[in-house]
Amino acid sequence: MPSTQNPPLSGAALDPTSVRPPIDDATIERIAPAQLRARLEALKAEGYAMLLDLGAVDYLERRPRFDVVYHLLKLPPKPATLSEVGTPARLRLLCGIDEGQRLPTAMDIWKSADWAEREIYDLFGIVFDGHADLRRIQMPLDWEGHPLRKDYPTRGPARERSPRPAFASKTNVVAGTPPSGRTLEALQEEVKRARES
Amino acid sequence: MTLSVNPAMPEVVSQSENTMVLSMGPQHPSTHGVLQIVLEIDSENVVKADPEIGYLHTGIEKTAEGLFWTQAQTALERMDYLAPSSNALGYALAAEKLLGITDRIPPRAQVVRVLQMELTRIASHCVWLGTHGIDLGAISVFFYCFDLRENILDLQEATGGARMHPNYIRIGGLNGDLPQGYIERLDAVIEKFPGRLRELRGLLQANPIFQDRTIDVGVLTPEEALQWSVTGPALRASGIAYDVRRAFPYCGYETYQFDIPTRVEADAYARFLVRLDEMEESMRIVEQARKRLDTPGPVMIDDPKVALPPKETIALSMEALIHHFKLISEGFRVPPGDVYHAIEGPRGELGYYLVSNGENRPYRVRVRPPSLYNLQALKGIAPGNLIADLVVMIGSLDPVFGEVDR
Repeated sequence: MPSTQNPPLSGAALDPTSVRPPIDDATIERIAPAQLRARLEALKAEGYAMLLDLGAVDYLERRPRFDVVYHLLKLPPKPATLSEVGTPARLRLLCGIDEGQRLPTAMDIWKSADWAEREIYDLFGIVFDGHADLRRIQMPLDWEGHPLRKDYPTRGPARERSPRPAFASKTNVVAGTPPSGRTLEALQEEVKRARES
Repeated sequence: MTLSVNPAMPEVVSQSENTMVLSMGPQHPSTHGVLQIVLEIDSENVVKADPEIGYLHTGIEKTAEGLFWTQAQTALERMDYLAPSSNALGYALAAEKLLGITDRIPPRAQVVRVLQMELTRIASHCVWLGTHGIDLGAISVFFYCFDLRENILDLQEATGGARMHPNYIRIGGLNGDLPQGYIERLDAVIEKFPGRLRELRGLLQANPIFQDRTIDVGVLTPEEALQWSVTGPALRASGIAYDVRRAFPYCGYETYQFDIPTRVEADAYARFLVRLDEMEESMRIVEQARKRLDTPGPVMIDDPKVALPPKETIALSMEALIHHFKLISEGFRVPPGDVYHAIEGPRGELGYYLVSNGENRPYRVRVRPPSLYNLQALKGIAPGNLIADLVVMIGSLDPVFGEVDR
């Protein structure tokens, strides 16, 4: 039986998409940011009527650091029966960009890119040029940082454990004497007496 | 006129003298959760509607990155809380694709998965219909819907132990076989369903008030629907028969007989009819799956690297004990790669884009939530309508905020 327990490949952390052949029923393309806009427009003209999804991945140690992933679906832009729809083509467009670089917006090609791009801006800090209303969408507007980045901390700063005050440092208690007044010696004495009797 | 809606929000300024800005929600009962809509209105007419989401953001995608592949499923199941099994199935199928074990899932597990999916769809549509009815003033529909849903939740509880989030579907198959007595209870639900659906139809379908409120309200043309990436019943009510179950079949959906109901009117009433027809089709699939349940068989993949060993072998076999220990303490590793897999959830295409770097935790889990894109279409269809119709439109798009905000 073939094992699924493969050891992690060296360098795999950098870019999993390049180490394994595509195992999808989608066409996969990789594109540079400069050609992105023209390619998206061409794809729309080819019949990719729906921008299924727009997501991003942060490969922290890779250059370029981020992948912005466009999932497109080819559908007829009019009422269509099941046989007319058939198995529509899916296409995945990966666009690698580095920190500080910007991408052109796809909002005027597909309106649905609006929220998707806002979400990527919010959670990854990637700026889309030409977006009409690029502000945070999931996080509060005054939030700092971009949570889905790999270097974003997953927990807050460690709190210092406050030292437990020593018994003797309490001011209202005489050192060594519990509030009941029964000292350890008195207790031991009591136990001893009970045993003897 | 200006209005500061929230200290953390920018000032909303209305564009003209005749309009005013009004904030609807996030505590408004008809917004189905925590949705705020910043409305610009001219008397009662909506000029611009801008939904503000994110009130329920819990960072599930980030959480999943820190968990084992199997543990992440538990977190992801909480997104669409009205259809938890569909979240789990989409993730399991995507992860199985990465593992390369898609063809080795036992047939009985596939049948039970289909059964779960369709029961979940019916339960989810029940909540939608009940709340949609309440929005429009038809209170009694709610009770009929929730009664039917309760029967289905009882079935879910029998499978996984929990009413809402059974965590029954796992990577590689199922948590366990169906319990004793399940089939009889399923048969009771199947028997009850047609009559109950007839009652639901009778309450609303020919109801003149309901028709007045929904016909020609919130028309979403096919072009607009594609522009806004609307999927699921809302897209099919616009005339495009795109259903992932037919376009990209999974779990053997190609072997079941069912139709994809579509409408061309594209209004809220069409979406209502499509969902009701869909419930009927789902029940057809459930009946077919029920017949296939008579064949016994394993429900988990026979691969000790993915599936936990049977409990009784742990005390007898050293191998089983080791595998059990390894799977529990460090999970399994998934070969590096990226994959997109989508299923037809009750609200539309629920897609998972998973990236693995060969470790025992997913490197990135990107969810394509159907509700997010469906809700966004509100920006396109709300302007020019009355505020009262806005409630109908939100209801007919059926957003679930656990999924929109994640």
